[in-house]
Amino acid sequence: MRHAIEVTDLHKRYAEVQALRGVSFHVGAGEVFCMLGPNGAGKTTCTEILEGHRLASSGAVSVLGHDPARGERAMRERIGVVLQSCGVQEDLTVAELVEMYGRYYPRRRSAEELIELVELDAKRDARAGTLSGGQRRRLDLALALVGDPDLIFLDEPTTGFDPHARRQAWSTIKSLCSLGKTVFLTTHYMDEAQHLADRVAVMAAGRIVALGSPQELGGRDALPSEIRFTLPEGVGVGELPQLPPDADVQLDPDRGTGGGVLVRTAEGVAAAHALTGWALERGIELRGFSVAQPTLEDVYLALTAQDGEGSAGAQPAAAVAEAGAGTPG
Amino acid sequence: MSAEQAGSAGLARDLRLVAWQVRYEQRAFWRNRRRSIFSLAFPLMFLLIFGLLNRHSHLKSLGGVSYITFFVPGIVAYTVMVVGFTNMAMSIALLRSEGILKRLKATPMPASAYLIGVTLSTVLTIFLATALLLLVGVVVFGVSIRASTLPGLIVTLIAGTAAFATLGIAVSRLIPKPDSGSPILMFITLPLAFFSNVFFPLGGSVKWLETIAKALPLQPLADGLQSAFYPHTTGAGFVGKDLLTLAIWTVIGCWLMVKTMRTLSAKD
Repeated sequence: MRHAIEVTDLHKRYAEVQALRGVSFHVGAGEVFCMLGPNGAGKTTCTEILEGHRLASSGAVSVLGHDPARGERAMRERIGVVLQSCGVQEDLTVAELVEMYGRYYPRRRSAEELIELVELDAKRDARAGTLSGGQRRRLDLALALVGDPDLIFLDEPTTGFDPHARRQAWSTIKSLCSLGKTVFLTTHYMDEAQHLADRVAVMAAGRIVALGSPQELGGRDALPSEIRFTLPEGVGVGELPQLPPDADVQLDPDRGTGGGVLVRTAEGVAAAHALTGWALERGIELRGFSVAQPTLEDVYLALTAQDGEGSAGAQPAAAVAEAGAGTPG
Repeated sequence: MSAEQAGSAGLARDLRLVAWQVRYEQRAFWRNRRRSIFSLAFPLMFLLIFGLLNRHSHLKSLGGVSYITFFVPGIVAYTVMVVGFTNMAMSIALLRSEGILKRLKATPMPASAYLIGVTLSTVLTIFLATALLLLVGVVVFGVSIRASTLPGLIVTLIAGTAAFATLGIAVSRLIPKPDSGSPILMFITLPLAFFSNVFFPLGGSVKWLETIAKALPLQPLADGLQSAFYPHTTGAGFVGKDLLTLAIWTVIGCWLMVKTMRTLSAKD
């Protein structure tokens, strides 16, 4: 099947900074694709090029078979966009705005149904200028969906939401997937990526540093397990039992000087067995004993830190790029 | 369907979109109290106050024409400026700074169709406001509208509207934030109104100021409209030099407007 989005060796250079340094990926039809990355990594620039708001310096981009740089109406008829901060005509009501934006599209969803979907029924006759922040974001979502798009861009769709509103937004986005829509999502939130995305691309300093499903991202599924516990006073690390040969034992940096221990090993089960058996035999209590895989956040932090370290100048420079992207062009 | 048919179907669709946009703009405009008060209630208030205060005055410098015959077309000219210039400038500034333009660009609605809708809505507002002011002039102050000079009145009104609306789109570039829009626009329009024969005739005491006023668009608009009301005017009420000045300003306004629109739809 043809991909909804294809990007090959995309570069974007602003006057002073290189915001994108050779980005390539594709998004399959019906897929939820998530772009993760710190501020200034190039997410917004990349998204804006895909939406046709910005021109690439070099590289090939195809969105639903169109070149977004040409700004074709046929492409805009099939995409929906939720931008980070985007105004509306504040003197019109929710219902009027959904109706008005709906008229711009040849194929449109019923206004009533959409207002219900984003749960603004109670506010349908309220002027947009009187809505709260969360209600405005939901209106944004309704306006992005009004043309019944095949591809939806969501730029940090839940930033500033309370946990309840985020769950609701997630279930709305999930329902889009079940309709076969393709979703291109950018976010800061690991749990959002974990919850929604089929595949995640991690960006740092203008490059994709990892690409994969949330489960396997950065080889996460193959990474060693982490066992953490706290030894009682008077028991040293040297007294621990024989552990699997690959085990890396160190003082847990997260637990300070209180005797916290961190064991990393690919054989988590064997190590846990050895440790708990030893503790029972010796009558030692291992407080806070836990076995875990590294979280998506750990992987993300490791991935984005690699690029930040060693080139301390790179991060602020990239931040300037995204700040520049925010100014009206 | 041939390409030509598809093209004309597309045009018909865009015209419908423009017509709808005019409706939405009108709805938003009259609902926004700050904007409708500025555009309509202010001129109406000026008309009533100045009109009542000078009810029985006649202007010697204008051959004994009554003040109200001078002032009704004057306040219409002022209103064309405030609605055309200020409203267009504020609408475009809002569109840009609030990110509405960005949202719009992601939709299939052509930015040009949207802007044409906004402009036509402004024109409609100007005509409604003019009709109301003339009605008050006729009913309350007994001003008479002359049938013979009606063509001149209408053409001058259209020329003034074109000049101020296009200049308004152009001047939107000077407004960094909508908050600063009102003071900036007031700073341009209010002094201009005072030395452009709108509220009172200048009477030839400061020649250089009158020369400047004649070169700017408000004075020619006021002058053209006023001459359509004066009983001594002969012919259809066209004042050639006023219409020429307004036409030149419209050309300048269009040129600046096109530049502004290019900037608005540019990508980087």
